[in-house]
Amino acid sequence: MEGSSTMMARKTWELENNIITVDQPDSNDTIFYYDDTAQSRFQQEKPWANDPHYFKRVKISALALLKMVVHARSGGNIEIMGLMQGKTDGDAIIVMDAFALPVEGTETRVNAQADAYEYMVEYSQTNKLAGRLENVVGWYHSHPGYGCWLSGIDVSTQRLNQQYQEPFLAVVIDPTRTASAGKVEIGAFRTYSEGYKPPDEPISEYQTIPLNKIEDFGVHCKQYYSLDITYFKSSLDSHLLDLLWNKYWVNTLSSSPLLGSADYVAGQISDLAEKLEQAESHLNHSRFGGIVPSSLHRKKEDESQLTKITRDSSKITVEQVHGLMSQVIKDVLFNSVRQSNNKSPNELSDTEPMITS
Amino acid sequence: MARSSTSGLTFKLHPLVIVNVSDHYTRVKTQLNPPASVCASGHGSNNGEALIQQNPRVYGCVIGVQRGRTVEIFNSFELLYDPSTQTLDRSFLEKKQELYKKVFPDFYILGWYSTGSDADESDMHIHKALMDINESPVYVLLNPAINHAQKDLPVTIYESELHVIDGIPQLIFVHTSYTIETVEAERISVDHVAHLKPSDGGSAATQLAAHLTGIHSAIKMLNSRIRVLYQFLAAMQKSDIPCDNSLLRQVSSLLRRLPAMESERFQDNFLMEYNDKLLITYLAMITNCCSTMNEMVDKFNTAYDRNTRRGGRTAFM
Repeated sequence: MEGSSTMMARKTWELENNIITVDQPDSNDTIFYYDDTAQSRFQQEKPWANDPHYFKRVKISALALLKMVVHARSGGNIEIMGLMQGKTDGDAIIVMDAFALPVEGTETRVNAQADAYEYMVEYSQTNKLAGRLENVVGWYHSHPGYGCWLSGIDVSTQRLNQQYQEPFLAVVIDPTRTASAGKVEIGAFRTYSEGYKPPDEPISEYQTIPLNKIEDFGVHCKQYYSLDITYFKSSLDSHLLDLLWNKYWVNTLSSSPLLGSADYVAGQISDLAEKLEQAESHLNHSRFGGIVPSSLHRKKEDESQLTKITRDSSKITVEQVHGLMSQVIKDVLFNSVRQSNNKSPNELSDTEPMITS
Repeated sequence: MARSSTSGLTFKLHPLVIVNVSDHYTRVKTQLNPPASVCASGHGSNNGEALIQQNPRVYGCVIGVQRGRTVEIFNSFELLYDPSTQTLDRSFLEKKQELYKKVFPDFYILGWYSTGSDADESDMHIHKALMDINESPVYVLLNPAINHAQKDLPVTIYESELHVIDGIPQLIFVHTSYTIETVEAERISVDHVAHLKPSDGGSAATQLAAHLTGIHSAIKMLNSRIRVLYQFLAAMQKSDIPCDNSLLRQVSSLLRRLPAMESERFQDNFLMEYNDKLLITYLAMITNCCSTMNEMVDKFNTAYDRNTRRGGRTAFM
């Protein structure tokens, strides 16, 4: 089904990104086994108590990812939250499944915990009966449209969780950016305890934060660290997903990301415009301050502000161009069908300028 | 047992259900055949015996919505069923249903699922048991045997119909066809996990490559399908195969649908959107150029600063 060139490309990509594929189909599935004794032993040992940076990786199962993204998207512009079940494995937290909680909104989250706890207990009990033996290892919530990071409330909630419910993980999903960019926007975080000064580490991936949230982001961004996320699936899952592609390619071809994300893009562009104005006013101040060494620092800040804006604008543009490419391809495929005895040759000339540039 | 359904309902299945069932099956199977020598019991097997069950049967419920003649299956959850006594744990089912109603108030139970290769007689018991919740439940069967030769999804959907066999009205299972339905977010995450698209930013080049590869594979599929149709038609023309008029009608209607959109308004909108995107690209490039120029000017100022200290020369620009 796959041509040799795609196989080559996939192999190169897998090599570059350190994907470890297990060859034997059986051993791939051992991750699904829940070893009660080993898990309880790990709970008692608590190796994370000494090292705030203990957990470094997260492995998310295909099912958990699918459930979380679908739930996040179904919330639309409202933040949703849910819990994740799984286990630990050395310095990795493994997320096997996720389920939604019947609460909404950010401000009410602290109060809603009581309701949510009841639901959680009932759900875990029924799950254990049905053969899903894992415990809750974390919570996820969505930030529709404003990126994957922890807000002030999130940080305090997670701190509380990490005090009483270790091991616990926080995951944030952005369904709007996922739909617009065509790739999953997800982040996994753990907070440091209060007063802990982390060694300065570079921000792993830059993401654009809207202006009204940027203060919240900046104040708390040093109080947590993000973990690497990898995904896994069972052999049956891979097999089914491969076969699913047979029915599914229709959706891929017919998807129009431009249509769905028009609002979001407009919001991004206006946000970018505001940031540009801010940067411009900063620039003006430092310009007329004369060429004094102290203003050099400010200039550096403005420059990096300007570079950030440039990066944001390129990101938006790239997504738009991708969407546009899909549209043009679809147009060429399905609209420029010409029969030999076509009566409207002027339509042919109309499509030409669309393709040649 | 494998007749076609005549109910006329269209079924839509979400990939989440498929992944759910497969995950359930894998879990039970792995728990039954543990890598260590720990005996665990899962349902669907003989309790207390450490048998290596290669293909345990798992059972569960599917939920979704039914709007008119369309049945859309969105999600699923596990059920407790004891095959030896053939009893369905009712309280469990009700509790689970309640929990799911809180989070997804629109969904209700549409039927049940199981794994195996074919529909069994004993399955009818569960089917009948569910009939008091939903008068016409669906039965989704997943075949977990991994057969690399098969091209089709090993998922079949059965409905029950009342047929008169040997003078006795009986319920039997009949096949129905279904389509895979998905929302954008679901599609992206399935794509992500299935084809392992680059998850992080990567460079613009890798993103572009990933996006175009996706579209390319989709177009290849389209191409192969069209080729099959073409060969079929050519064979029919040569009278290698008997003429099937209904198929010919379908092909002709398909062809008549091209070109897909021919109105003037579409052309206008398309060009407008195209121009908008070009404008965005232009603006982004201008921003980029401004930023680069700004940097250059600052570097220039820093480099030639000393020379212009006297003379009260202010900023360069």
